[in-house]
Amino acid sequence: MLSTAKVSLLWFCIQAAFVVVLCFTDMETGPGAGVSTQPNGDRFKIEGRAIVPGIKTQDWVSTARVQVDGEEYVGFLRTDGSFAVNDVPSGSYVVEVVSPNYRFEPVRVDITSKGKMRTRLVNYIKTSEVIRQQYPLQIRASGLQTYFMKRETWGWTDFLMNPMVLMMVLPLLIIVLLPKVVNTNDPEMRKEIEQSMNMLSPNPELPDMSELVTKFFSGSKGSSKAGGSSKGTRPAVKRR
Amino acid sequence: MAQLNSLCFTFIILCGTVGAVFEDQVGKFDWRQQYLGKVRFSHFDTYMQSSKKILLATEKNVFAAVNTRTGDLFWRHVDKSGPEGNIDALLQHGQDAVVVVGNGRLLRSWEINIGALNWEILLDSGSFQAACLIGQQDNVKHVAVLKKTVISLHYLSNGHQKWIENLPESENVDYQTLYSGGNGEVYILGVVPHSHMAIVVYSAEDGEIIKQISVDAPWLSNIPSSCAVVGNGMLICVDPTAESLYMLDLHEESQFTQIPFQSLGYEVSPDFHPVLVSTQPNQARQPLSEFFLQLGHEHYLLLLLSNGQIVTLRDFKPAMLVSFATAGEKTVAAVMSPKNKTACSLNLYNAETGRRLLDTTLIFNLDPNGGQPEKLYVQAFLKKDDAVGYRVMVQTEDHTLTFLQQPGRVMWTREEALSDVVTMEMVDLPLTGTQAELEGEFGKKADGLLAMVMKRLSSQLILLQAWISHLWKLFYDARKPRSQVKNEVTIENLSRDEFNLQKMMVMVTASGKLFGIDSKTGSILWKHYLENIPSNAAFKLMVQRTTAHFPHPPQCTLLIKDKDTGLATLHVFNPIFGKKSHVSPPALPQPILQSFLLPLMDQDYAKVLLLVDDQYKVTAFPSTKNVLQQLQETASSIFFYLVDASQGRLSGYRLRTDLSTVLIWEVFVPTEVQKIVTIKGKRPNEHVHSQGRVMGDRSVLYKYLNPNLLAVVTESTDLHQERSFVGIMLIDGVTGRIIHEAVQRKARGPVHVVHSENWVVYEYWSTKSRRNEFSVIELYEGMELYNSTTFSSLDRPFAPQVLQQSYIFPSSISAVEATLTEKGITSRHLLIGLPSGGILSLPKMFLDPRRPEIISEQSREENLIPYAPELLIRTEWFINYNQTVSRVRGIYTAPSGLESTCLVVAYGLDIYQTRVYPSKQFDVLKDDYDYMLISSVLFALFFATMISKRLAEVKLLNRAWR
Repeated sequence: MLSTAKVSLLWFCIQAAFVVVLCFTDMETGPGAGVSTQPNGDRFKIEGRAIVPGIKTQDWVSTARVQVDGEEYVGFLRTDGSFAVNDVPSGSYVVEVVSPNYRFEPVRVDITSKGKMRTRLVNYIKTSEVIRQQYPLQIRASGLQTYFMKRETWGWTDFLMNPMVLMMVLPLLIIVLLPKVVNTNDPEMRKEIEQSMNMLSPNPELPDMSELVTKFFSGSKGSSKAGGSSKGTRPAVKRR
Repeated sequence: MAQLNSLCFTFIILCGTVGAVFEDQVGKFDWRQQYLGKVRFSHFDTYMQSSKKILLATEKNVFAAVNTRTGDLFWRHVDKSGPEGNIDALLQHGQDAVVVVGNGRLLRSWEINIGALNWEILLDSGSFQAACLIGQQDNVKHVAVLKKTVISLHYLSNGHQKWIENLPESENVDYQTLYSGGNGEVYILGVVPHSHMAIVVYSAEDGEIIKQISVDAPWLSNIPSSCAVVGNGMLICVDPTAESLYMLDLHEESQFTQIPFQSLGYEVSPDFHPVLVSTQPNQARQPLSEFFLQLGHEHYLLLLLSNGQIVTLRDFKPAMLVSFATAGEKTVAAVMSPKNKTACSLNLYNAETGRRLLDTTLIFNLDPNGGQPEKLYVQAFLKKDDAVGYRVMVQTEDHTLTFLQQPGRVMWTREEALSDVVTMEMVDLPLTGTQAELEGEFGKKADGLLAMVMKRLSSQLILLQAWISHLWKLFYDARKPRSQVKNEVTIENLSRDEFNLQKMMVMVTASGKLFGIDSKTGSILWKHYLENIPSNAAFKLMVQRTTAHFPHPPQCTLLIKDKDTGLATLHVFNPIFGKKSHVSPPALPQPILQSFLLPLMDQDYAKVLLLVDDQYKVTAFPSTKNVLQQLQETASSIFFYLVDASQGRLSGYRLRTDLSTVLIWEVFVPTEVQKIVTIKGKRPNEHVHSQGRVMGDRSVLYKYLNPNLLAVVTESTDLHQERSFVGIMLIDGVTGRIIHEAVQRKARGPVHVVHSENWVVYEYWSTKSRRNEFSVIELYEGMELYNSTTFSSLDRPFAPQVLQQSYIFPSSISAVEATLTEKGITSRHLLIGLPSGGILSLPKMFLDPRRPEIISEQSREENLIPYAPELLIRTEWFINYNQTVSRVRGIYTAPSGLESTCLVVAYGLDIYQTRVYPSKQFDVLKDDYDYMLISSVLFALFFATMISKRLAEVKLLNRAWR
């Protein structure tokens, strides 16, 4: 299409026709690059057990695995949920049980060069802080993983409790119910109301807006009082 | 308190900006495909007659159980990649599968029904040779593992070691294989090349040596490839040079008896090493006396050993593959032979007699875009009438697994080449005929007003027609039950959708097989197997012409380079149909150092590809006159760079009009201190919408948007944790000017980098604090822009302002990429592939070096999040929810037609495709938009109006009457 051609031409000019494209040299960073382990050091075993309360182990162990420092060392779960990561040199590691459905907290395991184990909570900010955990590890699932956000659902109560709706509904109720409660046919009463209405409106000469609109839509001559019942519908009429 | 405040603030921002997946969106826009890799070992679960499992161990260190009816995974276990997770052997007994891992490092037993470990034990060091199940009196209880110097026996039930023995004379003898005939004896066969064969017999009970023999065999060098144990402990070997078979009874001390092929009447194909295939259906018993002898590429013999005599049961010629299979007590031989060019036929033969079984022919159609069959796995079973039925899994050269049933029905195929995607591109789908017509309307101009109007009307009519037929189809489909409605995507009905959300994914795999995958459904639309790809090839895929230039077909070019020699070839193809293009690529006799696409186009709208060889000469493709002329005109402004990581040399070149090059700059990185690891430029299709950022005081901080900037990452050669460091250099690719340099001390790789707009984000391992850290560098010009209309590297006198900040990241990562949208208006997210399988979508605003430590009025105005050292991983930000992606190798992002939407493909062992909306869907109605509510409210108001109008009229009338 023409536009893309133009854009690319423009792009080309602006760039002073300069191109640097990714190099075709072979420089993929290998995952295992630069692992500094002592070849002669002893190898140890990290043992523990993962528990998902209330779920049979055979239902979740096949999708889970144990990761030590990312994918540096990998262990698998036995049929009873216990695990052992073999062949780990001394050092400090973050051990994590990874399952797509259940959430497990990671644990830091320190192994001394003599093979002594210490387990503590993971704290990346204060790395030297020690809050001891038990060893062999007992990692209990803290619940299901939450991947999904809740949709904003729409309910009648939300609609009714909306302040705008309340502001509209309450006057409507007053307008509809008040004439029923107060007997408007009583001439004394009517006079009183009329008086109070006159008191409220400062300029009686000014034509009532509602009256005008009612006349305009109904096309018939009606008294200002008759407009009362159609008041509620007016905004809707306007919308149409 | 302040911290709490800032936390609250962060939380509010998080909720406001990050759109996660909603539960009802599961599977709506996304799909995942799980792969295993090239199969190395395979076992049908024969423990139960009705079992539907096949166990597969692959070269990708994956062990899995696959459903034989559907090809889906029952379970899959992904071990560490590399040689430490390598699966050396797979043995199966009943419910247990025993696996030797990592060159004999570990011995594992899996419970195959659940997919969990029974036990795992660490074996003594030593390189692994062979493993075998040891049976006694029809009972298999032990597994023996032979290493270079020791043999150990383990209980199958718990893995405990029963005994371990050092092998005698292990410094001279090369022990290679072991055999057990089920009588409580373990035979270990070793060889002293060009001298003799050593046989040691152990008692399975206590590990005592029962016998030790040495037999002269000067012709023997490798036992597993040339020998097999047949029948009652008869060792048969082939010697291609003497063209004869050798036989030895393992039970009796004796000499090898030589049987020349000539005496049997056989003829070996020249330059072919004959192969023996025997079978041992039950580990607790002897192997069968029948065996195959392969004499040529397509020549097999079924032989029988009886009373020391070799009898030919049947001669198979031509035959491509053979395999034994056992059902109950019956053993059959399956033979695959070529039928015609496009199909093979399989037949079953009775192993004892060599007679063909009736009604067992199975036709296997060869895929013209696939490879030749390589391996045959046969599952035989007994039918109700005691006849033998069978199913086969055929593995072809392109790593495809095809599972077939009689008479040739393909039950499933698995394209295991996709477990190793190297690179990919997304290509827009072509327009349909009608769409192309509509587009064409805007292209032409001088037609006159009336003609234009007529054209407009006619195109509208076409649209109306298309819409009506679409509606009709919808209506027609709605009446059918849902299961019958299949929206099958084929190449013929492919067309671009209105928002360009559906694209063609062109994937290049390490095996040399190319795939075209529909991004919406994940179905493979085309595949093409490139033969003769070197095993260490590097690939680079480039889109030379998109689908936008109808009627010119789109064109992709794949550069295949042998990493050792540097010699390269080009494969030019149509990315929509996968067909090889008739455009002939240039021959490349010299090693290629660099390749890049220019924004220049030839008269057919194909972008020009330049290839730089080791003589620093440039080859252009296409190289028409038009292109060469354009190149001559613009040569003075075409620059490129070369990297030599082994010498630590970075150099920049400029093109001359005669397509030779001139060196402009050179930067040396001392290789004794540090090595260049990665170089990242910016993506050429990236758009930056805003030139600067508005600050809290309403001034503008302009971004430094240098399209020629390169981020060079180096790692120290000293790996000691106190002295190691990671360096990053920002170099202008045209002038070679080092814009910025930063060093992270006490850090090491692997480093992952993203370079985009005016920022570089990189991740490394901090050896001091033993954690992963992210660091972000942002470049700004300052409050004023030097030259706001064009950017030229040659004319930028002021160095940019550099801001940097680092954060702790609580996980290691396997890949990282930034989202990309069409116009760059949408805010950016980083997509981070985690080893746990999740793909985290992290807003770039968390990686902003201007995050303040103390909140001020201005920073609040700018919506800056207060600085917090740790970045959080929230599972709500996982774009792939529980659809984990193993070993993410790369994440590919592509813009769609909608500004809000970015298409994402994560590839590694699995492939996952989805869409992300970094700033939520601001340009389309959300998919949860409540049409029902809106329309019902409208209707209700409408009727309310009508009714009340009527009521008002009645009331007025009544009043008038009064």
